[in-house]
Amino acid sequence: MPPRIPTKPSASSASALVRSSFASPCTSQCLPSCRAGFSTTPSLERSTNLRRAFLHWTRTVGANFRQPKPEGGSNYIGPAGSASNKPFPLNPQFRSERVLDEQARELIWEKVMRQGETLKAVSAELGVDLTRVAAVVRLKEVEKDWISKGKKLATPYSKAVLGMLPTKSFRPGVQNQPLEPINEIHIHTATQKQLFWPTAESRQFTREDAATAFHAKMLSADKRVPHPELIRMEKDLLQGMSPDEARARFISAAEQSERKAAEKQVRKAMAEEQATTKVNTQRFEFRFKEVDSELVGKDGRAPNVVGWKYGMPHYDRKKGLVKIPTSVP
Amino acid sequence: MPRAAQRRLHVLRRPKLRQSWSKYNLYNLWRQRDPKIGFADHETFFQQKWRAKGLLRAYHGEHIKERDWERMFSRRLLSVANMNPRYMAENDGSEMAAGRGSGRDIVQRWKSDVVEPKTITPYMNMAFAPMERRLDIAIFRAMFASSARQARHFVVHGKVKVNGKVMHYPAYKLNPGDMFQVDPDSVLFATGQPKKKGGSNARQASKAPQDNAEAEPAAEEAEGAEAKAAEAAEASEAPEQDPETTDKPEAAKADMKPTRQAIQKLTKQAKSILARNRDVSTSQKQNLRSFLKRAKPLLSKAGRSTATPTDILGELNSMVKELNLSDPSTETAATPTESSSEKATRQEPPRSIDDLNAEELKALQRLIHEEEENPADPAKPYHTPWKPRDYMSPFAFIPRYLEVNQNVCSAVYLRHPVARVGSAEVPTPFGYQINQLAFNWYLRRR
Repeated sequence: MPPRIPTKPSASSASALVRSSFASPCTSQCLPSCRAGFSTTPSLERSTNLRRAFLHWTRTVGANFRQPKPEGGSNYIGPAGSASNKPFPLNPQFRSERVLDEQARELIWEKVMRQGETLKAVSAELGVDLTRVAAVVRLKEVEKDWISKGKKLATPYSKAVLGMLPTKSFRPGVQNQPLEPINEIHIHTATQKQLFWPTAESRQFTREDAATAFHAKMLSADKRVPHPELIRMEKDLLQGMSPDEARARFISAAEQSERKAAEKQVRKAMAEEQATTKVNTQRFEFRFKEVDSELVGKDGRAPNVVGWKYGMPHYDRKKGLVKIPTSVP
Repeated sequence: MPRAAQRRLHVLRRPKLRQSWSKYNLYNLWRQRDPKIGFADHETFFQQKWRAKGLLRAYHGEHIKERDWERMFSRRLLSVANMNPRYMAENDGSEMAAGRGSGRDIVQRWKSDVVEPKTITPYMNMAFAPMERRLDIAIFRAMFASSARQARHFVVHGKVKVNGKVMHYPAYKLNPGDMFQVDPDSVLFATGQPKKKGGSNARQASKAPQDNAEAEPAAEEAEGAEAKAAEAAEASEAPEQDPETTDKPEAAKADMKPTRQAIQKLTKQAKSILARNRDVSTSQKQNLRSFLKRAKPLLSKAGRSTATPTDILGELNSMVKELNLSDPSTETAATPTESSSEKATRQEPPRSIDDLNAEELKALQRLIHEEEENPADPAKPYHTPWKPRDYMSPFAFIPRYLEVNQNVCSAVYLRHPVARVGSAEVPTPFGYQINQLAFNWYLRRR
């Protein structure tokens, strides 16, 4: 740490410099009054230019950033007086995006848990990403659980942080502006290469054909989007269906797809249940599964198969290898 | 990492940007100018990459060994494309197969005044995307810690759970859908104002009794006046009862009912709190705390020992109303033992109780609620009542790949950060070109 700040308020750094140059001869006189009397080195009477500039900044420009804005909202450094959403002035490609406020989260939870709407329907209605809707509900459930258990929430922290961030709220029962694009697909690596694919000019070369051209097993974009039902709905609308009817069809399709996914999960769990034999003892529950020891891969050394294999080292206790778990179930 | 830990994190000379909310870091960020790498020809390409990588590595996980980061690095940069359902319904993709295989050419209007610049997808800004998967950095991004190093400290000390299980590896890489929770007390400590040694909190603690003492005399004076009135009334009505013991038999008999005097005292105090109800000063808050302290036993007397301060006011209000309602009815049925103090106040108009109107009650309720949410607690390792730390707001942003619930100090890692047309989700302090040079540095031998 540099030594103490000069006690007199310095109007400008130049005047402070002058003063400090005058003050320097007296250091030897100040020696007896120093706290560490046994030290023979006089402490630095003046601060460095850098530090002085920093302190000047804290008093002038920096003072704006000390506290969050009283009216709320973001307070990023940037050109003075501009309400920018860029926390890093040198990186215009990174923007601070809006987050859902308390009311919006409550609304989403209400829709999903109380009114029993599907995640897809809520996502499409409010313009919130499907995974985000699920996460909001999951976190809100934790919050409700805490409240029911009487655990103290970090409310002052929450209020302060949401006061500093750009937030988004929804009005129930009205068409709202979306929070984010909801129908995004990952750009598949196989689609990033350039293809030369001769086809007949007369042929209708659709997205389906393009997908198969890139890779034999690739699904078309229509199937990879999170909301294929929305495309269906738009097609219905284009064919002259009334908006209400199209909407109802969309909702039922969303319900159906969600039910399908749930059934699939249940089936998987049931299959797992049936494949294991459970034996309960006083201390443990032993679970047995049928394993074919002959399934050892092409060369008999497949990494994920059961049992010790001749010539294959066990790396799980070896020094210098990463043992950090890769997933937490 | 002993050497890295010994190095100073924030310096003014030859500054480096860090993942931290320090005021020095803010100052360095504020005065950082474009380093202009590769603008002049005095640097070789190697030198350009070296400098760019140095600038960025100082920010992105400077506490992570270079070797570890090299293992983490991935040349595969993730991006997404927004598919408009309307467009997909209108077209089946064959329109893109027209022309030379990428759609019909758009006729350029060279004569138009404004030529729209093409927006790129800033893939290069994703160079440090694998870093954002790390647990400690995700905690910093979710604003649960004031620096990545502090986040790492929390993880190592078992303050962080992933999917409900304690995870003590800061290098754990989050998978999409993982939920991480940080101990709320640690979060409040990290993001709150520090407790000054012998500073404000200690001073408050020593000052509080004085303030209470200052506040008390007024109330005591009022009490004294009431007591005198009560005595006078007793002298006329029930001379056989000892004025000193008037309260005690009543308390014993009507145990469920708080005394009228106590309620009066409290309402008076509440009024004194609300006297300047625009800005709540520290002394007023202290008054409020002492008010709550006194109101709690009153409620336990009334049979509600587990009352929260938010309930207090409603209870108090209802009690006051009950007393007023019982006035005409009890006039005839009042038993001689219980009447003494009540009758005394009944003879005077009971203005002191009724004085709190609905608005005042509401204001007081709000104040009490705030106090309940954010109490002063000297046992906490941070300044209480909690306030956000200085210079926090310029650093406040939450990237899109996280969904955070601040109330429970938990967040969900939704997906890996991605690039879109015009923006990249990795929070990095430098722009496209410098990231590109750094990316190229790590591409070597790969």
